[in-house]
Amino acid sequence: MPRLSRELIFTACRTLPWGVVGTAGGAGLLLAALTRITGETGERLSLHLLRAAVLAFALGLVFLLDDPARHTTATVPTPRPVRFTLRVALVVPATAAWWTAALLLVPPDLRPPVADITLEAGAAFALAVAGAAVAVRCTEVTRPGPRVAAGLLTSAVLVMVGWPGRWALFVPVQDDRWAAAHDRWAVVLTGAVLVGALGAVEPLRRWSWRGAPGRRAAGRRGLRRAGRSARVQEP
Amino acid sequence: MTTVVERPVVSDVRPGSSGAAVAALALFETRRLLTRLPVVIAFLVYLGWTVWQGGKAWDGYPALQDVDRATQSAPMLVGLAVVLSVNRAALRSRRHGTEHHFAVLVLPPWRRTVAHALSVVAAALLTAVCVAGQFGREALRPGAIGHGSVAELLVGPLIVLLSGLVGLLMAGLVRSAIAAPLTVVFFLFLFLFFTGGMSDGWVRWLMPVVVEPTASTLPSDLIGRPAAWHALYLAGLALCAGLVAVLVAGGRKPLVMAGVAGAVAMTLVGGVAQTGGDSPELVKARERATVNPDQVQSCVRRDGSTYCAFPEWGPRVADWAGVVDRVRSLAGGSAHEQKVVVRQRIEARYGLSGDAALMPLERPHEVTVGTRWGGNRVPEFSAAVAGVLVAGTEKASTSICDGRVVTVMWLALGWESDPVAALRRVRLDDSVTGSAFVLQPTDGLYMTAAQTEVLRELLDRPRGEVTARVKSHWAELTEPKVTAARAARLLGVKAPQGDDKCLD
Repeated sequence: MPRLSRELIFTACRTLPWGVVGTAGGAGLLLAALTRITGETGERLSLHLLRAAVLAFALGLVFLLDDPARHTTATVPTPRPVRFTLRVALVVPATAAWWTAALLLVPPDLRPPVADITLEAGAAFALAVAGAAVAVRCTEVTRPGPRVAAGLLTSAVLVMVGWPGRWALFVPVQDDRWAAAHDRWAVVLTGAVLVGALGAVEPLRRWSWRGAPGRRAAGRRGLRRAGRSARVQEP
Repeated sequence: MTTVVERPVVSDVRPGSSGAAVAALALFETRRLLTRLPVVIAFLVYLGWTVWQGGKAWDGYPALQDVDRATQSAPMLVGLAVVLSVNRAALRSRRHGTEHHFAVLVLPPWRRTVAHALSVVAAALLTAVCVAGQFGREALRPGAIGHGSVAELLVGPLIVLLSGLVGLLMAGLVRSAIAAPLTVVFFLFLFLFFTGGMSDGWVRWLMPVVVEPTASTLPSDLIGRPAAWHALYLAGLALCAGLVAVLVAGGRKPLVMAGVAGAVAMTLVGGVAQTGGDSPELVKARERATVNPDQVQSCVRRDGSTYCAFPEWGPRVADWAGVVDRVRSLAGGSAHEQKVVVRQRIEARYGLSGDAALMPLERPHEVTVGTRWGGNRVPEFSAAVAGVLVAGTEKASTSICDGRVVTVMWLALGWESDPVAALRRVRLDDSVTGSAFVLQPTDGLYMTAAQTEVLRELLDRPRGEVTARVKSHWAELTEPKVTAARAARLLGVKAPQGDDKCLD
């Protein structure tokens, strides 16, 4: 068993989308490093820059569960939650290292409260992975990454633009609602972890919202025909 | 029995047929692009936002030179969804591994890129329809004045076009699904940085949408935004992105090369021309409109009063005359028949870069009116007219520091259907008790707690009764140094308890 696990870890490590995550991480670090050159406006911009960096890295994490071979691995003895947890566990140290680097890139006097901003980052990363997990569970696509990335980005912009102020999430540091907003971020984090855990479970039977249209229509027709013939046969 | 094929099969590739294939593919891609979930959500949010927001910003009295600029920001949301969706669509065949199947078809890759670009044009056209609807809705309001600019209206659709073609170019350059989302994050941040951090100077004109920091309205010939050059710049950028995407996909035809050169030239011409700053004629015209507005205004007389307005504001004279008539009808003594001069004034010397206060007029019976109307602007103007009727000049009325404020505010609000709501709107802190500043087109007025108390008593009583009392005691009520307590006694309401000391 330990030998199997070691092999499993090695294989999972090789199949992780390190290229995409690395690109996203590089872009995020670039954004975080911008706080060093923005001069006096940096104080106002450092929080926005860190959030943009978090968003960039989260867009990379969205590709974590992309697996071109998922239809062939559905039958292996290792269940999906284990494979899923393994992928997440492998990427967590990288994420932690990246986040530390991003925080260290921001000058100490411009840095927002570390615990709170880490909570925001954690919630964003958890949301990204949970979105990917739900996409894997609810669809048959092998690479849900781009789709979830588009969704994550669109929803991030929508939340920034039109989220009601009563439940504000993106607040500046000096705002009175900072503490309340981070309670909400904790709720978001919990919700994302729960949804991600539920999404990790292998469904009992395959179903999808978006099967091949021809097949689905034919299936419905077949059902209807069957129903009609069943009625006809009734006395 | 066997048949022998005598002729080799001739493939049906004629020069004309590939144009039809591009059109067919463009139709298909358009349908797909406009039904992607992010695009649908973005359009729904955009439409919902504009419909919900419509009419709120200008209280039913829009100036069309402001309305055209207000259509620019929201299409960025659509542009964001389009950049992601076009990028995904252009990478679709690669993602699904069908690139090799397409190689046997009549369409070379660059023609497929052209079809994707045409689908972006369709999204831009749809945005143009939305923008036209938003502008048309405001323009058809009975209170609309001024002139919109086509170049300002074009910015919204051009942003959608530009973002879609940038998404296409990204797909041609970097064949990775992460490229487009990361680009969007960078652009979001850049936009925030340039609009928030560097609001001044020519750099801001390099951004797609140039937001002005002020909410004041100017005559359309004094705005001085290089809108046409900016639209040319955006169109050039979009063409550059689209044609370079075609080039990258292998369409190295002389026509495309010439197009790229032309688009670069367009971008440069537009980009340089838009940063020229204000021309000397514009500066002179702004100076004249601010210092000597009578040189450019036309005046009309109504019921003996004179109304001088900038040419675009001609239709507003009737609204102003209505307020002046109602205020005068509540006044007594000579003020009941007093002819006033209503002069429209602006501070245009700083353009749209900031709000500047107007100094009160010193000529007798002359009142300032601003360029906006509707909502809070009505009771503010009403208070200024009442102040001039009571104190004689605008300068004197804004420095009133005694019980005459009660009379002024009664004249200003007594004719309103809901005077207490109007009082709340005209006061700076939206209060209806205690002391507060009263806003006016020029300097404000200070109401003490005692004066507010007396005024509230008056507003609670029947209008006819109070009007009769004000008219019969007009001379005592409008003499300087009258106290709030004496005004209360004259008007037959109980003496105020509050503080009656104005600010130094």
